[in-house]
Amino acid sequence: MNFRSPRILPWLTVVTLTAGFALVFFFAPNDADQGFIQKIFYLHVPLAICALVGFMVAAVQAIIHLRGGDSKWDVRSYVSIHISIILGVAVLITGAIWARASWGKWFVWDEPTLVSFLIVFLLYCTYYPLRYAIEDRERQARYASVFAVTAGAFVPLNFIAVRLAETLVHPRVFATSDSGLPPKMWITFLVCLAGMGLLWETLVRFELAAKSSRARLGRLRRALEGDDVGVAGSRIAPLAHGATETS
Amino acid sequence: MPALPLDEAGKYVAGAYVVFLALLLIYVAIMATRLQRIDRELAELAELAERRDDRSVRDPDGADAGGERPANDPGTPGREAEDVPGGDLRRSSRQEVS
Repeated sequence: MNFRSPRILPWLTVVTLTAGFALVFFFAPNDADQGFIQKIFYLHVPLAICALVGFMVAAVQAIIHLRGGDSKWDVRSYVSIHISIILGVAVLITGAIWARASWGKWFVWDEPTLVSFLIVFLLYCTYYPLRYAIEDRERQARYASVFAVTAGAFVPLNFIAVRLAETLVHPRVFATSDSGLPPKMWITFLVCLAGMGLLWETLVRFELAAKSSRARLGRLRRALEGDDVGVAGSRIAPLAHGATETS
Repeated sequence: MPALPLDEAGKYVAGAYVVFLALLLIYVAIMATRLQRIDRELAELAELAERRDDRSVRDPDGADAGGERPANDPGTPGREAEDVPGGDLRRSSRQEVS
C-alpha cells in the first residue's frame, strides 16, 4: 500500500482523526484535576505541535530553496506556512476556549506560553504582506525564504522561553515528572497527534495540487491563446514570450 | 483548580471541537470553490482548443502557419522545467523583470 498516494492519505487522515476523537471521549479517563474540560487538550496540543513543526518544515524548505534556487521549494515553504497559520488560528481559538473554562479569562497576557505563541503566529501573519509587497517574483521568493528561515528560528526559541519562564499557569504536561500522562491518555494523545500530522500533510498536498493545476492551466491558456493569435496570422505566443524575455 | 461540572465543561469542549471542524469545513469549501474555478477554466480552454481545431480544418493554410507550433508544445524539453508547482511564478517573474 502506497501511503504517499493522494487517494490513501486523506482516508488515512479521516480514519486516524476519527479514531483519535473516539478515544478521547470513550477511552481516555477524565483528568483528576480538570475533569471533562481537559478533553480539549487532545485537540489543542496536537494542533499547536503540528503548527509549530510546520513552521520549522517551512524554514527547512526555504533553506533548500535558497541553496538550490529551485522555485518548487519556495512554493512548498509558502504552502507549509499557509497551512500552519490555519492550524495556528485553531490553536488560538481552542486555547482561548480552554482558558475561559479553566481560568475564567479568554487570554492571560502574563503567561509566556500564550504570549510567545501569539507572537510567533503574528510574526508569520506578516509573511503574506511581505511576500506580496514585492512585485518581482524572483526577489519575492528569495525574501520570503529568508523570512521563513529567520522566523523559523523563533519557533525553538519559543519552546525554550516557555520552559525558562517562571510563571507557570499553563500546564506543563510533558515536563513534570510527577504529573505525566497515564498510559491511556498517552495512547489517545499520540493517536490524535498522528491524525493531526496526517491532516497537515493532506492539506499541504491539496494546496500544492491546486497550485500546480492552476499553474498548468495558466500555461495551457497562454499556449492556446497564443496559438489562436498565431492562426489569425500574428505571432504565436512562445515567440512573443521569447521576445519579452530578451527585451 | 476545581473541575467544572460536566454540563458546564461539556459546552466548552463541544465548542472547541466544533470550532476545529468548522475551520476544516471552511477550508474544504474554499478548496471546492477553487476546484470549480479550475473546472470552469478547463472547460473554457477545451472550447478554445475545439474552436482552433475547427478553424484549422476550415483553413489548412492557417494550420500550416501553425507549423511553428512545436515551440508551443507543452512536451517540448525546454518547457519541462516549468512543469513544477510555482513554475509559472518563475516564468512570470522573467516577464516582469523584462
